[in-house]
Amino acid sequence: MKNRLLLVTLAALVLAGCASDPAPNAQLQLTEKAVAQAASVGADNQLVEMKLAQEKLALAEKNMAEQDYKRARFLAEQAELDARLAEAKVLVAKSEAQLAEMKLKIASLRRQLGGQP
Amino acid sequence: MKAAWMFAGCAVILLLAGCSSQQTSSQELEDARARFQQIKNDPEVLRSAPKDVVRAEESLARAETLATYWGTSDDVTHYAYLSQRYSEIAEQESILSQDQQKQSKLEIQLQNLQLILREDKLLTVQQRKEWAAEQLVSLDSNETERGLVMTLGDVLFSGGSANLTPAANRTVLKLVQFLQLNPRRVIRVEGYSDSNGEVADNLRLSLERAQSVADMLIDLGVDSKRIAVQGYGEDYPVADNASTRGRAKNRRVEVVISDQQGNLSPSR
Repeated sequence: MKNRLLLVTLAALVLAGCASDPAPNAQLQLTEKAVAQAASVGADNQLVEMKLAQEKLALAEKNMAEQDYKRARFLAEQAELDARLAEAKVLVAKSEAQLAEMKLKIASLRRQLGGQP
Repeated sequence: MKAAWMFAGCAVILLLAGCSSQQTSSQELEDARARFQQIKNDPEVLRSAPKDVVRAEESLARAETLATYWGTSDDVTHYAYLSQRYSEIAEQESILSQDQQKQSKLEIQLQNLQLILREDKLLTVQQRKEWAAEQLVSLDSNETERGLVMTLGDVLFSGGSANLTPAANRTVLKLVQFLQLNPRRVIRVEGYSDSNGEVADNLRLSLERAQSVADMLIDLGVDSKRIAVQGYGEDYPVADNASTRGRAKNRRVEVVISDQQGNLSPSR
């Protein structure tokens, strides 16, 4: 009798645990989008953040299949931000390169004008 | 009294316990805090990525709260991680938006340079030689007690503003080439206005016009150290402010040129 009570309590606790962590389907979609977006601007796994994002997303999908929803959500949330940071870093690198190119062009035009090199 | 002391003692112990448990909670939390400190007072970051700053703060607050509970170290680490990422993203966004501002400035410089080079190429070699000889005459300059003074008239600015019109290019180009041929000379760019309107507004406009001439010279490669800028507002009119024509004459920018040794007459 006592054992049964314990089991019921345990079951209730486990259920409560499950209830607080529903399957994070929306978060996974968000993360997939963020990773795809980063890839579309040219982020690849050469970039640490992109590599992290891809690995965590894969792991999150595995946890989803195992119904380990809390871990899946954590990993997916982290992967989303990893991917966003990767995207931002790629964009910054591109714009810095553009700036450098413009400066070179200006310097060359000034030389053509006969100014100081 | 005794009770109060005991209470205080307990409070101190509790505080210390709180601190020590937070310290052991995680390195991630420390890092997230430090990162957020770095960005939260940066006006550029706040302007270009306000949402990410808010999220960094929210995640950090969540991690801090969780750190006061037992058995939540995974959660603390997680929210600290998110906070740190939001801070980093905000930082990158801010760099990106500053880069874009720089790019649009450089774009204008490039356009001006290209325009002026195109005009320059239209001149033949012969013309250029004559030019060099006539430099000072063609500069519309006058030898005054202040030295050589070149005047840019009101028509070279678009109505009532400090923006130079394309017609100003040629004049400014001449000045640039003159300064390149005379590397030791320095200049003072002085702005003047007519007496219409508020004294303060006139002073501001005259300074802005002088500054935009100076900016263009700098864009074209003249060292900014060779250029001083001053606004005189409606002082020192060269014509009568009662007539339209007189007022137009008074709205002008004068470029005072030093002698060969770089000695500039004192400002007025």
